[in-house]
Amino acid sequence: MMEFFKAELLRLRAFAIGLGAAHLLALAFMSRMVDLAQQPLTVHWTAGAVYALLGLLLGLYQMGNYRKPSAWLNLLHRPLAPWRIAVALMAASLLLLAISVLLPIGIVALWQQTMTPRVVDLRHWLLALAGLQIAMAGYLAGAYAMLAERRYAASGFVFLFLLLVAEATGFGALALQGLVIAWLVVMVLGAFKPDLSAAPAPLLPLLSAAIPLQMLVLLLMVMFYQGVEMGWIAQGSHPNNSSTPPRGGHNEVEKMDDRGRMTAALSDSKHPDAALLREQIALSEPEGVAQQVRRLPQRHELANLAPMEFDDDARGIRWVFSHDDMRLHGYDLRQRKLVGVLGVGPGNTALMAPTLPIGGMPGMADGDEVLLAGGTLYQYVSASQTIVDRIQLPNGEVILGASPIGESLGLISATALYFFDGRDLIEHEGRVTPRMHVRIPGAAGDLRNLELMELIDGYLLVATFSARAHVMDGGTPYQSVVRVHDDGRSEEIARRVLRHDYPPIYRYQWFWSSPLLSWLKTQSIALFAPPMPQEAITPAPIPRGMWILALTLCLLAGAAAAWRSRVLPMSTRLRASWIVASLLVGLPAFGAMCLLYRPRDAAAPTP
Amino acid sequence: MNTDNDYVIETQALSKRYGQKLALDNLDLAIPRGRIHAIVGANGAGKSTLFRVLLGFLPQTSGQARILGRDSQKLNPDDRSRIGFVNEEHTVTGWLKVAQVVAMQRQQYRRWQQEIFDQVIGHYHVLPQQKVSQLSRGERAGLNLALALAQRPELLVLDEPTLGLDVVAKRAFLESLMYSNTSDDCTVIYCSHQMEEIERVADNLIILERGRLMNMSAPEDFTARVSHWVADAPFKGPDPRSLPGLLERQQIDGLQHYIVLDQGDDFAQFLRQSGARNVHSMPVSLDRAVNAFLSKNHAVPAAAA
Repeated sequence: MMEFFKAELLRLRAFAIGLGAAHLLALAFMSRMVDLAQQPLTVHWTAGAVYALLGLLLGLYQMGNYRKPSAWLNLLHRPLAPWRIAVALMAASLLLLAISVLLPIGIVALWQQTMTPRVVDLRHWLLALAGLQIAMAGYLAGAYAMLAERRYAASGFVFLFLLLVAEATGFGALALQGLVIAWLVVMVLGAFKPDLSAAPAPLLPLLSAAIPLQMLVLLLMVMFYQGVEMGWIAQGSHPNNSSTPPRGGHNEVEKMDDRGRMTAALSDSKHPDAALLREQIALSEPEGVAQQVRRLPQRHELANLAPMEFDDDARGIRWVFSHDDMRLHGYDLRQRKLVGVLGVGPGNTALMAPTLPIGGMPGMADGDEVLLAGGTLYQYVSASQTIVDRIQLPNGEVILGASPIGESLGLISATALYFFDGRDLIEHEGRVTPRMHVRIPGAAGDLRNLELMELIDGYLLVATFSARAHVMDGGTPYQSVVRVHDDGRSEEIARRVLRHDYPPIYRYQWFWSSPLLSWLKTQSIALFAPPMPQEAITPAPIPRGMWILALTLCLLAGAAAAWRSRVLPMSTRLRASWIVASLLVGLPAFGAMCLLYRPRDAAAPTP
Repeated sequence: MNTDNDYVIETQALSKRYGQKLALDNLDLAIPRGRIHAIVGANGAGKSTLFRVLLGFLPQTSGQARILGRDSQKLNPDDRSRIGFVNEEHTVTGWLKVAQVVAMQRQQYRRWQQEIFDQVIGHYHVLPQQKVSQLSRGERAGLNLALALAQRPELLVLDEPTLGLDVVAKRAFLESLMYSNTSDDCTVIYCSHQMEEIERVADNLIILERGRLMNMSAPEDFTARVSHWVADAPFKGPDPRSLPGLLERQQIDGLQHYIVLDQGDDFAQFLRQSGARNVHSMPVSLDRAVNAFLSKNHAVPAAAA
């Protein structure tokens, strides 16, 4: 086993070293231009995609060479179990990828930590590990694609797709990548056998290949539906693209301006003040309250949602947030020297949560900056170079957005809108308490728009909950009109239910295609993800018609599996298992069975 | 099926189908332990498919295949250490040096015998520090053979090992095989199109045609079954369809040449009765006999028939 490991290293070492050197040069060049540790998520996504592609190409090349009939026979016809040879090749590839991917990132991080005043946290070192893991996942997916039969060779790519859409961050993301690698290793070991044309067996390799294959079939089904949707768009009647959105639907409301949305919310209201309020809306200047934070920064997350730094131009200092000590580290932009570490108040205590600089607010001095840290809003005061704790939301709530509302500041959380007196914030330096708050009449994940208008004795608030009305996990879309009194009382005076613009068959396409896999997809994406209060939703109950359709398709899949499996080379037990799987999973299981097994007499030669 | 170790290879009703084509057609084959067995057949006769099935790299469509007494689809690492295989491409890890390849093999094969390797590789100008990719095809073939023999396998399969080699390399290969005394304790399956090689090395001749066993006998026994008759017959001679055991017919300088299978003096009588004035027979070489045998059912365009 060790001999194969060494032989494979010898084979590709020059390639790995050359690639590593090119990678190092590219990173070094970019480091001279920007602080790589503070780049937004898109930059890290791009780098991750490149690493995955590198790994993929290595897997395709390596196994592509070995799977030629004579080379394959020479490789496997020896007194070593195939899995040991596979492990040797995979271990060698891991080391080669470490040279090409992990080492250059590590060298640049080391240079940045020792030779520059830039912040290098634990998460940045872990980022190098994540790069290696992503490249390894790509390698394994490529290796499997080359070893497995062409019909189902692409199923390993499902995991690369999962890494792209997963919500896990930091150590959770690393754990997820580790799980993906472990799964792909089992898949490759299952495919690494003398007879490459044989379907995976026994149970563990079979399950490891069959589950992602079913997910791939489901993805292909959904891609087909999207192809149909393209036709729908081209035909001109798609709700999102038609010249006039369907009346009474959520698309119509979403395309209105603030005033239009507020007026529409009251259009059906029988409330005695409805007519008067509509007149006031026409005469006033409604303001939209933006939800600025769609994803909250998490401690030790590997990549930034947005750069966690800001410049105090007046003093020529750049302040960068460090996840390790939860403080801001400042360095002089001209001399490139560390000028200090800044915590909260005179005690220099750690900030409460990873901090996003969101700019200034009206009334703030030049150079001051608002810092959003979970449920706390800090103010960086340039003149004194201090951080002041200004606002703390109660009950562990987190701030999702801040907007000026007249002379007040409005802060939106997952459950409420808080009003702060603008003068308090400007005239006092310490923490201020909310003047009043109003509960948001719905789930934060469903909230798409929030408009506000000042009344003589309070506010009129209109919330539109339609953010996820086009997909199955969204609630029934509606608008809610809330009157907020100056003394803090509030009552809902109108609620307008909006129509779904998309038919259930469109919204529930994942569900009826396979209820079980649809659930598995949601769970996989959310695996190891941190709590996300801003994503809280209240899904509408699944329509009975969709249940009937899903169950009918499952029954059809079971019947089709029973019929088709008659001519497939499988034992009675295996056949029964596939029929049950098709009944439980639906068409994706039936499709996977057809791809994994060929009829007995139609065996094709192994290329 | 016999499960004791009398046979190194045993197949029963073995079939392998590629789509509509049968590569192996109900093949019943039992190759006894010991000696050198040659397998010949035209391209597409199923030789390589047979080896791939026997080594577990291809599943059969039906029937059974055993190698060294083990179901070919259930070979374990120990079984594989007892079976050497040399293929026509001489696939050896090209980026390694010869010494590194040898070290790797020595590590993996418990029965490895360095003296055998040194003896066989001595027929070639191969240096330990040379990279395998820098070796000529003939040297690579020699290295491959040396590696396979030094493993001291119980069964050695040589699948067209001299294909593409020049005369000198072929000779070196055969000499290194012959002088290694391999067949003393190893059964050799030698698959080749080169009849002069087979004539030289093989104790047993197995002929496959379209996936079926057509002959299994000593090469000289097979040659004895094939005879070459020359008849001075007027016009075209007798209707070929009426000729018993006809393998091949040619007309050269007005004389009819017939190569026939399993025909004795009765055939001369038959030719005379068919109008031949003068008939005489001569022996045929193994090459000629096998070629005639294999070309008998060879597909030809209608115009050439």
